[in-house]
Amino acid sequence: MRSGRPRHPPCTMGVTMRFITYTQPNALSVAPAFGFGDRLSRPGFEAEIDRLFGSALTGLAGLARGGQFPVDLYEDKDNTYVRAELPGVTRDAIGVEIVDGSLSIQASRKEKSGDGERTVSFSRLVSIPDEVQADKVAAVYENGILTVTLPRKEEAKPKKVTVSVN
Amino acid sequence: MSFLNALIPSAGFTDRDPVATRRPHYEVSETENAYALTVELPGVSKAGLEITDEGGELRITGRRASTVPGNLVDLHRETSDAPYELVLAHDNTVDSGRIEAELRDGVLRLSLAKAESAKPRKIAVS
Repeated sequence: MRSGRPRHPPCTMGVTMRFITYTQPNALSVAPAFGFGDRLSRPGFEAEIDRLFGSALTGLAGLARGGQFPVDLYEDKDNTYVRAELPGVTRDAIGVEIVDGSLSIQASRKEKSGDGERTVSFSRLVSIPDEVQADKVAAVYENGILTVTLPRKEEAKPKKVTVSVN
Repeated sequence: MSFLNALIPSAGFTDRDPVATRRPHYEVSETENAYALTVELPGVSKAGLEITDEGGELRITGRRASTVPGNLVDLHRETSDAPYELVLAHDNTVDSGRIEAELRDGVLRLSLAKAESAKPRKIAVS
């Protein structure tokens, strides 16, 4: 663990973000048991509430709405890790790229709409705090979570500069 | 707690379960013979998933398998490690014996066959 480095400020997380607001436990289970079936169905009301909140709080709505997916950033002494929640995306279509010091994640997923199927795309740009060895980046997709491992570049040793004083 | 329970009985404010859970995103669709339920449970593996159907209530609990190892420092968090919990009341319109579940890439798909008693029935007049 390195010390003295400021925490990665949330506001620098990607230019495509609308907000990163607070993201703690999304929705505590204070909601009553929602029913389905004709008698208990109230999807219209619930969808409306979700829509209202979804526009204000990132993460409350599911992946299907809004096209944004939540991302975590971790580090240890060698690597920076980016973890993205991308349930049900097409494995072959996940794109991970390093562009100008940022990590670009692209994914898509097939969703049923009515009788047909449509493809919904997601993308996000995450700025990486340290320089990355771009050729050694690895990504794993498991249980709907994409984990990208970004090995950090050896930090250049401080150079000794002699300044002559006249 | 008993006050809250009296106020909102279905909310489950009990001393038994102090762990905060969150409701996952889900969708229900209906066909003639079954309900199809899709629940997003990113991070949950088969081992962390529990589905029960009891007393007209379908309960899905999912614990995230991949928690962060202790030696990692989190720089920025947007996700939560709180377990998922979804309770759906179906009032026995679903045949408990004919529920099929499939978990793939963090998405749970359930097919819940409708109970015979819940299907529309024509009554012949004698």
